[in-house]
Amino acid sequence: MSNAPARQRNWYERDARFIPAHHQPASLLDLALGRGIDSHRLLRGTGLFYQDILGGRQSVTAEQFLRLIDNVRQLQGGDDCSFLFGQQLLPGHYGNASHALRHAQNLQQALERLVLLRRRLSPLLTPRFRLDDRYAYIHWFDSCGVGGREIFLMEACMTAVTAMCRWLSGGPLPWQYQLRHPKPGYVEQYWVHLSEEVRFGCPQNLMRLPREFLVRPWSNVSVTVGQVAEQASLEELAAADEMAPSMLDILFEYLHEHIRQPLGLDRLAEAQGMSAATLKRKLKRHDTHFQQLLDQVRTYVALDLYVSKGFSSDEVAAYLNFNDKANFRRSFKRWTGLLPSDLPGSFA
Amino acid sequence: MPSLFAFHRIKLLVLFLVANLGLILHLSLGAVKPLSIWDPLDVAGEGGSAILVLVWICLLLKSRPAGRVTTLLFAGLACLFFSLWMDVIDEFIQLPDSVRWDGWLESGPMPVGFVLLTLGIYHWHSEQLAINLQMRNRERLYREHREFDTLTPLGGATYLRNQIGSSIQQAEADRQPLSLVMLDMDTFNTINRDYGQAEGDRVLQVVTQLVLLNLREHDLLCRLAGDRFVIVLPNTLESQAKVMAMEVSLAIAHLAYRTTGQGERLVLSATTVAVMARQESAEGLLERLNLRMAQAKQMPLARSA
Repeated sequence: MSNAPARQRNWYERDARFIPAHHQPASLLDLALGRGIDSHRLLRGTGLFYQDILGGRQSVTAEQFLRLIDNVRQLQGGDDCSFLFGQQLLPGHYGNASHALRHAQNLQQALERLVLLRRRLSPLLTPRFRLDDRYAYIHWFDSCGVGGREIFLMEACMTAVTAMCRWLSGGPLPWQYQLRHPKPGYVEQYWVHLSEEVRFGCPQNLMRLPREFLVRPWSNVSVTVGQVAEQASLEELAAADEMAPSMLDILFEYLHEHIRQPLGLDRLAEAQGMSAATLKRKLKRHDTHFQQLLDQVRTYVALDLYVSKGFSSDEVAAYLNFNDKANFRRSFKRWTGLLPSDLPGSFA
Repeated sequence: MPSLFAFHRIKLLVLFLVANLGLILHLSLGAVKPLSIWDPLDVAGEGGSAILVLVWICLLLKSRPAGRVTTLLFAGLACLFFSLWMDVIDEFIQLPDSVRWDGWLESGPMPVGFVLLTLGIYHWHSEQLAINLQMRNRERLYREHREFDTLTPLGGATYLRNQIGSSIQQAEADRQPLSLVMLDMDTFNTINRDYGQAEGDRVLQVVTQLVLLNLREHDLLCRLAGDRFVIVLPNTLESQAKVMAMEVSLAIAHLAYRTTGQGERLVLSATTVAVMARQESAEGLLERLNLRMAQAKQMPLARSA
């Protein structure tokens, strides 16, 4: 990380035009058009025109896509909108990135490609892939300030991965889901589109399944096509200067790497070569703030240590540099809604 | 139905003309009252009533197809509106004492309107009974249109929960068994993926019709979510429910469904499970039924209850 002033940012923010309008926004549009909703009303306030989308050259910002989601939710109503949208998302029709996913030889490769090519495959939420002794995990994080659409997008993204795996592996996989929001009134949608193994009010948004499913070979796959498509997709992203992760991703990475050191807004801003006030403003535009970001990373690390690595409460506190146990218990309760002592039975 | 209004254009036109005629008649014979003797309370009360009745007329015409019942209801409401309208005009215009017919214009149409309205509502009632017959197996005793699924159209999950709740109470009061059957289409997502969402929607509509034909008078079919349906079977033991569940899944397996585009034959099949209500809440019963479905789905050989 250099501290050169006014350098080229190695990230993108929510006002970057990087989502091709004929990719995911178009499939959401089609879903709503198919239910008889007028295209003008769907695109109201997004600054987009249906003709431009048909042209196939329009890119939209995360903000515009989120506005479209708001419109669809408002006009279409119903509890199944996010799930129906999710079913069509992956592998999708996004050129090389979709081919790379379609021709993954097994689940592990598919998930790695999903993370690698996420700017094309999952532009609004960042998937993070993690392994422990028993399970493979996909964590989902906000990548561009989705605000109140978090639940909608979690439903859509988790349905997308679930439906894709069911299709490519030839049958349903035993995914388990943990979601941060409280149990909604339409839990039956989760039963039908995800599975019965859904838990609400959890500390993190994640889905997991036993590791042995990762390497089972998938049939009807061309390994070569997959490799070539992955390479081509990366080159495409590089040519469009779209290799960089989002701002929230970069900050998450930085905090994750330096989680054992004392961290503050000033230090984070300095490391990113900007003033604290600028960073604060940027975070606010992404619907978050420093403490929320830090808590998110600490939750991620602490639960990994507890659940996956078998650390004791004291060891986790020591790892995260909490000198005062009471303070750690209080903080932990704030991050996860649970006391460290409640944990072993809860998420194992 | 895009423009039911268009059907009724002439009705509205006539009402508009007659209302104007009344106004012109008053204006031509009388004199406008000075501002000082206007009675704001009367104006607000009578004017407000007239406007509300006009709103009723618009909603009525917007929502109902043309026909005898609609015409009666409209005529009744139109008479009410006219007499209220004359009342309002009366507040602003002073007619000379020699004019006697103004009282008739105000009070005459009112009773006529009420009689027509009553006739209309009576026939509406008969019409509703006829429609209820068409809604058989789709709703029971209680109607809430906001809880209806727009696609199939059956009661949705909220409607189902309420119905299960009241059915449990009823069953306990009558000391009768209550059973539920859950139906889930197999490999439905491949239909959506291969033939598109519109085809999938059509499959659901066709299956809905088919299942309805297999039900008894007092059974209720609801759409839980996606391709999962629940049938509420009052006064039914679990063994009977299992037989019905199997019959339904056989009916679906024997349905020769063809796609809209190419007329391609799709083989449909459904997994069905049945449970009987114990001492438990509606939510608990639904969860237990759903778990049973999850187990059945994991054992592909042991399909059909």
